[in-house]
Amino acid sequence: MHNPLEQFEISHIVPMNIGGLDVSITNSALFMVLVVLVSSAFLILGMRRGSLVPGRWQSMSELTYEFIASMLTDNVGTEARKYFPFVFSVFIFVLVANLLGMVPYAFTVTSHIIVTFTLAMIVFLLVTLVGFIRNGAHFLKLFVPSDVPWYILPLLVVIEVVSYLTRPISLSVRLFANMMAGHTMLKLFGGFVVMLGALAGWAPWLFIVALSAMEVGIAMLQAYVFTILTCIYLNDAFHPSH
Amino acid sequence: MGEDDPKSSFEDFDARLQSARQRQMPRPRGSQQAKPLGVAMRISVELAAGLVVGGGIGYVLDRWLGTGPWLMIVFFFIGAAAGIRNVMRAAKELNLSSQDDESDSGPRPSD
Repeated sequence: MHNPLEQFEISHIVPMNIGGLDVSITNSALFMVLVVLVSSAFLILGMRRGSLVPGRWQSMSELTYEFIASMLTDNVGTEARKYFPFVFSVFIFVLVANLLGMVPYAFTVTSHIIVTFTLAMIVFLLVTLVGFIRNGAHFLKLFVPSDVPWYILPLLVVIEVVSYLTRPISLSVRLFANMMAGHTMLKLFGGFVVMLGALAGWAPWLFIVALSAMEVGIAMLQAYVFTILTCIYLNDAFHPSH
Repeated sequence: MGEDDPKSSFEDFDARLQSARQRQMPRPRGSQQAKPLGVAMRISVELAAGLVVGGGIGYVLDRWLGTGPWLMIVFFFIGAAAGIRNVMRAAKELNLSSQDDESDSGPRPSD
Protein backbone atom coordinates (compact mmCIF):
# COMPACT_ATOMS: atom_id res chain seq x y z
CA MET A 1 0.00 0.00 0.00
CA HIS A 2 1.12 3.52 -0.72
CA ASN A 3 2.27 5.80 2.00
CA PRO A 4 -0.05 8.83 2.05
CA LEU A 5 2.90 11.09 2.81
CA GLU A 6 4.95 9.84 -0.11
CA GLN A 7 3.53 12.56 -2.33
CA PHE A 8 5.42 15.21 -0.38
CA GLU A 9 8.83 13.68 -0.95
CA ILE A 10 11.43 15.81 -2.67
CA SER A 11 13.31 14.03 -5.41
CA HIS A 12 16.25 15.29 -7.41
CA ILE A 13 15.75 15.60 -11.12
CA VAL A 14 18.92 17.36 -12.22
CA PRO A 15 21.56 17.09 -9.48
CA MET A 16 23.64 20.24 -9.27
CA ASN A 17 26.21 21.38 -6.76
CA ILE A 18 27.63 24.88 -6.75
CA GLY A 19 30.28 25.71 -4.16
CA GLY A 20 29.15 23.03 -1.73
CA LEU A 21 25.55 24.15 -1.96
CA ASP A 22 22.98 21.68 -3.14
CA VAL A 23 21.12 23.59 -5.83
CA SER A 24 19.72 20.61 -7.67
CA ILE A 25 16.54 20.99 -9.65
CA THR A 26 14.03 19.01 -7.64
CA ASN A 27 10.44 18.15 -8.36
CA SER A 28 9.51 21.12 -6.18
CA ALA A 29 11.63 23.51 -8.22
CA LEU A 30 10.29 22.02 -11.42
CA PHE A 31 6.73 22.64 -10.32
CA MET A 32 7.50 26.18 -9.26
CA VAL A 33 8.80 26.83 -12.77
CA LEU A 34 5.66 25.19 -14.11
CA VAL A 35 3.52 27.45 -11.92
CA VAL A 36 5.22 30.52 -13.32
CA LEU A 37 4.87 29.22 -16.89
CA VAL A 38 1.20 28.33 -16.48
CA SER A 39 0.28 31.64 -14.87
CA SER A 40 2.23 33.59 -17.50
CA ALA A 41 0.58 31.60 -20.26
CA PHE A 42 -2.83 32.18 -18.71
CA LEU A 43 -2.36 35.93 -18.57
CA ILE A 44 -0.35 36.50 -21.76
CA LEU A 45 -2.35 34.22 -24.01
CA GLY A 46 -5.56 35.47 -22.40
CA MET A 47 -4.72 39.07 -23.22
CA ARG A 48 -3.18 38.33 -26.63
CA ARG A 49 -6.08 39.75 -28.58
CA GLY A 50 -6.96 42.47 -26.13
CA SER A 51 -10.33 42.97 -27.76
CA LEU A 52 -12.89 45.40 -26.43
CA VAL A 53 -15.43 42.65 -25.96
CA PRO A 54 -13.44 39.98 -24.12
CA GLY A 55 -13.56 36.33 -24.98
CA ARG A 56 -13.58 33.57 -22.39
CA TRP A 57 -9.86 33.54 -21.59
CA GLN A 58 -9.55 37.28 -21.72
CA SER A 59 -12.44 37.83 -19.36
CA MET A 60 -10.95 35.31 -16.94
CA SER A 61 -7.67 37.22 -16.90
CA GLU A 62 -9.49 40.50 -16.53
CA LEU A 63 -11.64 39.16 -13.70
CA THR A 64 -8.54 38.02 -11.84
CA TYR A 65 -6.97 41.42 -12.35
CA GLU A 66 -10.05 43.30 -11.17
CA PHE A 67 -10.53 40.97 -8.21
CA ILE A 68 -7.08 41.76 -6.84
CA ALA A 69 -7.24 45.43 -7.81
CA SER A 70 -10.50 45.94 -5.93
CA MET A 71 -9.24 43.89 -2.98
CA LEU A 72 -6.22 46.17 -2.75
CA THR A 73 -8.17 49.42 -2.99
CA ASP A 74 -10.85 48.17 -0.59
CA ASN A 75 -8.41 47.11 2.06
CA VAL A 76 -5.61 49.62 1.73
CA GLY A 77 -6.74 52.48 -0.46
CA THR A 78 -5.94 53.90 -3.86
CA GLU A 79 -2.44 54.98 -2.87
CA ALA A 80 -1.50 51.30 -2.59
CA ARG A 81 -1.87 50.75 -6.34
CA LYS A 82 1.93 50.96 -6.55
CA TYR A 83 2.11 47.58 -4.85
CA PHE A 84 -0.44 45.94 -7.11
CA PRO A 85 2.17 43.99 -9.13
CA PHE A 86 3.55 42.45 -5.95
CA VAL A 87 0.17 41.51 -4.49
CA PHE A 88 -1.02 40.17 -7.81
CA SER A 89 2.11 38.05 -8.23
CA VAL A 90 1.67 36.59 -4.76
CA PHE A 91 -1.95 35.78 -5.47
CA ILE A 92 -1.44 34.20 -8.86
CA PHE A 93 1.56 32.18 -7.66
CA VAL A 94 -0.25 30.72 -4.67
CA LEU A 95 -3.45 30.15 -6.63
CA VAL A 96 -1.81 28.38 -9.55
CA ALA A 97 0.46 26.37 -7.23
CA ASN A 98 -2.57 25.21 -5.22
CA LEU A 99 -4.60 24.38 -8.31
CA LEU A 100 -1.74 22.61 -10.09
CA GLY A 101 -1.42 20.49 -6.98
CA MET A 102 -4.93 19.21 -7.62
CA VAL A 103 -3.86 17.65 -10.92
CA PRO A 104 -3.24 13.93 -10.35
CA TYR A 105 0.46 13.00 -10.04
CA ALA A 106 1.37 16.66 -9.65
CA PHE A 107 3.49 17.95 -6.82
CA THR A 108 1.95 20.57 -4.54
CA VAL A 109 4.54 23.27 -4.01
CA THR A 110 2.56 25.01 -1.27
CA SER A 111 2.35 21.85 0.85
CA HIS A 112 5.92 22.47 2.00
CA ILE A 113 6.30 24.82 4.90
CA ILE A 114 9.60 26.18 3.65
CA VAL A 115 7.96 27.42 0.46
CA THR A 116 5.04 29.10 2.21
CA PHE A 117 7.31 30.44 4.93
CA THR A 118 9.59 32.02 2.35
CA LEU A 119 6.58 33.61 0.67
CA ALA A 120 5.31 34.85 4.02
CA MET A 121 8.73 36.22 4.93
CA ILE A 122 8.91 38.12 1.64
CA VAL A 123 5.51 39.65 2.41
CA PHE A 124 6.46 40.38 6.00
CA LEU A 125 9.80 42.01 5.18
CA LEU A 126 8.33 44.06 2.36
CA VAL A 127 5.47 45.29 4.53
CA THR A 128 7.82 46.22 7.37
CA LEU A 129 10.12 48.01 4.94
CA VAL A 130 7.26 49.88 3.32
CA GLY A 131 5.96 50.83 6.75
CA PHE A 132 9.27 52.30 7.81
CA ILE A 133 9.92 54.03 4.50
CA ARG A 134 6.49 55.64 4.36
CA ASN A 135 6.10 56.55 8.03
CA GLY A 136 9.61 56.58 9.43
CA ALA A 137 9.62 56.22 13.19
CA HIS A 138 5.89 56.86 13.10
CA PHE A 139 5.48 53.23 12.08
CA LEU A 140 6.43 52.21 15.62
CA LYS A 141 3.10 53.64 16.75
CA LEU A 142 1.66 50.36 15.52
CA PHE A 143 3.13 48.75 18.62
CA VAL A 144 1.82 51.30 21.09
CA PRO A 145 -1.83 50.76 21.97
CA SER A 146 -3.71 53.96 22.65
CA ASP A 147 -5.41 54.91 25.94
CA VAL A 148 -3.59 52.45 28.16
CA PRO A 149 -2.26 53.37 31.61
CA TRP A 150 1.49 53.98 31.50
CA TYR A 151 2.44 51.26 33.99
CA ILE A 152 1.36 48.38 31.75
CA LEU A 153 2.45 50.07 28.53
CA PRO A 154 5.96 48.49 28.42
CA LEU A 155 4.49 45.01 28.79
CA LEU A 156 1.87 45.68 26.13
CA VAL A 157 4.48 46.99 23.71
CA VAL A 158 6.48 43.78 24.09
CA ILE A 159 3.33 41.75 23.55
CA GLU A 160 2.45 43.76 20.46
CA VAL A 161 5.93 43.31 19.02
CA VAL A 162 5.76 39.54 19.56
CA SER A 163 2.29 39.54 18.07
CA TYR A 164 3.65 41.36 15.03
CA LEU A 165 6.42 38.78 14.70
CA THR A 166 3.90 35.92 14.64
CA ARG A 167 2.51 37.18 11.35
CA PRO A 168 4.81 35.28 8.98
CA ILE A 169 4.30 32.10 11.02
CA SER A 170 0.53 32.20 11.08
CA LEU A 171 0.45 33.27 7.44
CA SER A 172 2.64 30.40 6.27
CA VAL A 173 1.31 27.69 8.59
CA ARG A 174 -2.26 28.36 7.53
CA LEU A 175 -1.54 27.83 3.84
CA PHE A 176 0.82 24.91 4.34
CA ALA A 177 -1.39 23.05 6.83
CA ASN A 178 -4.47 23.40 4.67
CA MET A 179 -2.74 22.09 1.58
CA MET A 180 -0.93 19.26 3.33
CA ALA A 181 -3.95 18.09 5.31
CA GLY A 182 -6.16 18.10 2.23
CA HIS A 183 -3.74 16.16 0.08
CA THR A 184 -2.96 13.65 2.81
CA MET A 185 -6.66 13.04 3.33
CA LEU A 186 -7.20 12.49 -0.40
CA LYS A 187 -4.38 9.94 -0.54
CA LEU A 188 -5.59 8.24 2.63
CA PHE A 189 -9.07 7.72 1.30
CA GLY A 190 -7.59 6.66 -2.02
CA GLY A 191 -5.84 3.91 -0.06
CA PHE A 192 -9.16 2.91 1.49
CA VAL A 193 -10.68 2.48 -1.96
CA VAL A 194 -7.94 0.02 -2.90
CA MET A 195 -8.16 -1.81 0.43
CA LEU A 196 -11.91 -2.24 0.44
CA GLY A 197 -11.94 -3.27 -3.20
CA ALA A 198 -14.99 -3.53 -5.42
CA LEU A 199 -17.22 -4.64 -2.58
CA ALA A 200 -17.21 -1.56 -0.34
CA GLY A 201 -14.68 0.68 -2.04
CA TRP A 202 -17.33 2.84 -3.60
CA ALA A 203 -18.08 4.56 -0.28
CA PRO A 204 -14.64 6.16 0.18
CA TRP A 205 -14.57 6.70 -3.56
CA LEU A 206 -17.70 8.84 -3.39
CA PHE A 207 -16.14 10.66 -0.47
CA ILE A 208 -13.04 11.40 -2.55
CA VAL A 209 -15.19 12.84 -5.31
CA ALA A 210 -16.82 15.23 -2.84
CA LEU A 211 -13.53 15.98 -1.14
CA SER A 212 -11.80 16.79 -4.42
CA ALA A 213 -14.42 19.41 -5.16
CA MET A 214 -13.94 20.86 -1.72
CA GLU A 215 -10.17 20.78 -2.14
CA VAL A 216 -10.42 22.88 -5.29
CA GLY A 217 -12.49 25.32 -3.25
CA ILE A 218 -9.92 25.34 -0.46
CA ALA A 219 -7.12 25.85 -2.99
CA MET A 220 -8.80 29.04 -4.17
CA LEU A 221 -9.89 30.12 -0.70
CA GLN A 222 -6.39 29.79 0.72
CA ALA A 223 -4.92 31.82 -2.12
CA TYR A 224 -7.55 34.44 -1.36
CA VAL A 225 -6.81 34.35 2.39
CA PHE A 226 -3.08 34.67 1.81
CA THR A 227 -3.62 37.66 -0.44
CA ILE A 228 -6.16 39.43 1.74
CA LEU A 229 -3.85 39.09 4.73
CA THR A 230 -1.08 40.60 2.63
CA CYS A 231 -3.45 43.50 1.93
CA ILE A 232 -4.36 43.86 5.60
CA TYR A 233 -0.69 43.93 6.56
CA LEU A 234 -0.01 46.48 3.84
CA ASN A 235 -2.81 48.56 5.31
CA ASP A 236 -0.98 48.56 8.63
CA ALA A 237 2.12 49.75 6.82
CA PHE A 238 0.16 52.58 5.20
CA HIS A 239 -1.95 53.59 8.21
CA PRO A 240 -0.12 52.57 11.38
CA SER A 241 -2.62 54.24 13.70
CA HIS A 242 -3.54 52.06 16.58
CA MET B 1 -48.40 56.94 23.53
CA GLY B 2 -48.95 58.54 20.17
CA GLU B 3 -45.22 59.13 20.02
CA ASP B 4 -44.25 55.66 20.97
CA ASP B 5 -46.02 53.90 18.16
CA PRO B 6 -44.24 55.24 15.07
CA LYS B 7 -40.89 54.92 16.75
CA SER B 8 -41.30 51.26 17.46
CA SER B 9 -42.58 50.62 13.98
CA PHE B 10 -39.48 52.37 12.61
CA GLU B 11 -37.30 50.15 14.71
CA ASP B 12 -39.21 47.16 13.55
CA PHE B 13 -38.77 48.27 9.97
CA ASP B 14 -35.09 48.75 10.52
CA ALA B 15 -34.72 45.25 11.89
CA ARG B 16 -36.69 43.80 9.02
CA LEU B 17 -34.62 45.76 6.52
CA GLN B 18 -31.43 44.52 8.11
CA SER B 19 -32.49 40.90 8.00
CA ALA B 20 -33.75 41.25 4.43
CA ARG B 21 -30.44 42.74 3.39
CA GLN B 22 -28.56 39.98 5.08
CA ARG B 23 -30.65 37.38 3.33
CA GLN B 24 -30.17 39.02 -0.03
CA MET B 25 -26.45 39.55 0.22
CA PRO B 26 -24.58 36.54 1.42
CA ARG B 27 -20.86 37.02 1.73
CA PRO B 28 -19.72 37.56 -1.82
CA ARG B 29 -16.43 35.72 -1.64
CA GLY B 30 -15.21 32.57 -0.01
CA SER B 31 -16.97 29.26 0.02
CA GLN B 32 -19.58 28.78 2.68
CA GLN B 33 -18.67 25.15 3.08
CA ALA B 34 -15.14 25.66 4.28
CA LYS B 35 -15.93 28.55 6.55
CA PRO B 36 -16.27 27.03 10.05
CA LEU B 37 -13.21 24.89 9.46
CA GLY B 38 -11.35 27.92 8.21
CA VAL B 39 -12.28 29.93 11.28
CA ALA B 40 -11.22 27.14 13.63
CA MET B 41 -8.01 26.74 11.71
CA ARG B 42 -7.28 30.45 11.79
CA ILE B 43 -7.87 30.87 15.52
CA SER B 44 -5.81 27.85 16.50
CA VAL B 45 -2.95 28.79 14.22
CA GLU B 46 -2.87 32.31 15.67
CA LEU B 47 -2.70 30.93 19.18
CA ALA B 48 0.00 28.40 18.40
CA ALA B 49 2.06 30.92 16.44
CA GLY B 50 2.19 33.19 19.47
CA LEU B 51 3.57 30.39 21.62
CA VAL B 52 6.10 29.33 19.00
CA VAL B 53 7.40 32.84 18.41
CA GLY B 54 7.48 33.71 22.12
CA GLY B 55 9.27 30.52 23.06
CA GLY B 56 11.64 30.90 20.12
CA ILE B 57 12.60 34.45 21.04
CA GLY B 58 13.18 33.39 24.66
CA TYR B 59 15.28 30.42 23.59
CA VAL B 60 17.47 32.50 21.29
CA LEU B 61 17.93 35.22 23.92
CA ASP B 62 18.77 32.61 26.55
CA ARG B 63 21.43 31.04 24.36
CA TRP B 64 22.82 34.45 23.53
CA LEU B 65 22.87 35.86 27.05
CA GLY B 66 23.32 32.56 28.88
CA THR B 67 20.53 33.31 31.31
CA GLY B 68 19.31 29.80 32.01
CA PRO B 69 15.71 29.01 31.24
CA TRP B 70 14.36 32.28 32.59
CA LEU B 71 13.93 34.39 29.49
CA MET B 72 12.37 31.47 27.69
CA ILE B 73 9.80 31.12 30.46
CA VAL B 74 9.06 34.84 30.45
CA PHE B 75 8.79 35.04 26.68
CA PHE B 76 6.67 31.90 26.58
CA PHE B 77 4.06 33.73 28.60
CA ILE B 78 4.47 36.89 26.57
CA GLY B 79 4.02 34.76 23.47
CA ALA B 80 0.85 33.27 24.94
CA ALA B 81 -0.43 36.78 25.60
CA ALA B 82 0.43 37.81 22.04
CA GLY B 83 -1.38 34.74 20.74
CA ILE B 84 -4.48 35.59 22.75
CA ARG B 85 -4.24 39.17 21.51
CA ASN B 86 -4.14 37.88 17.95
CA VAL B 87 -7.13 35.65 18.58
CA MET B 88 -9.08 38.57 20.02
CA ARG B 89 -8.22 40.65 16.99
CA ALA B 90 -9.17 37.85 14.61
CA ALA B 91 -12.47 37.31 16.43
CA LYS B 92 -13.22 41.02 16.21
CA GLU B 93 -12.51 40.96 12.49
CA LEU B 94 -14.70 37.92 11.99
CA ASN B 95 -17.53 39.59 13.89
CA LEU B 96 -17.12 42.69 11.78
CA SER B 97 -17.13 40.82 8.52
CA SER B 98 -20.22 38.86 9.46
CA GLN B 99 -22.08 41.99 10.49
CA ASP B 100 -21.28 44.70 8.02
CA ASP B 101 -22.53 44.45 4.51
CA GLU B 102 -22.73 48.11 3.61
CA SER B 103 -19.24 49.24 4.52
CA ASP B 104 -17.61 46.83 2.10
CA SER B 105 -16.49 49.52 -0.28
CA GLY B 106 -14.83 51.85 2.19
CA PRO B 107 -11.34 51.35 3.49
CA ARG B 108 -11.14 48.89 6.30
CA PRO B 109 -11.36 50.51 9.74
CA SER B 110 -8.04 50.06 11.42
CA ASP B 111 -8.03 49.24 15.07
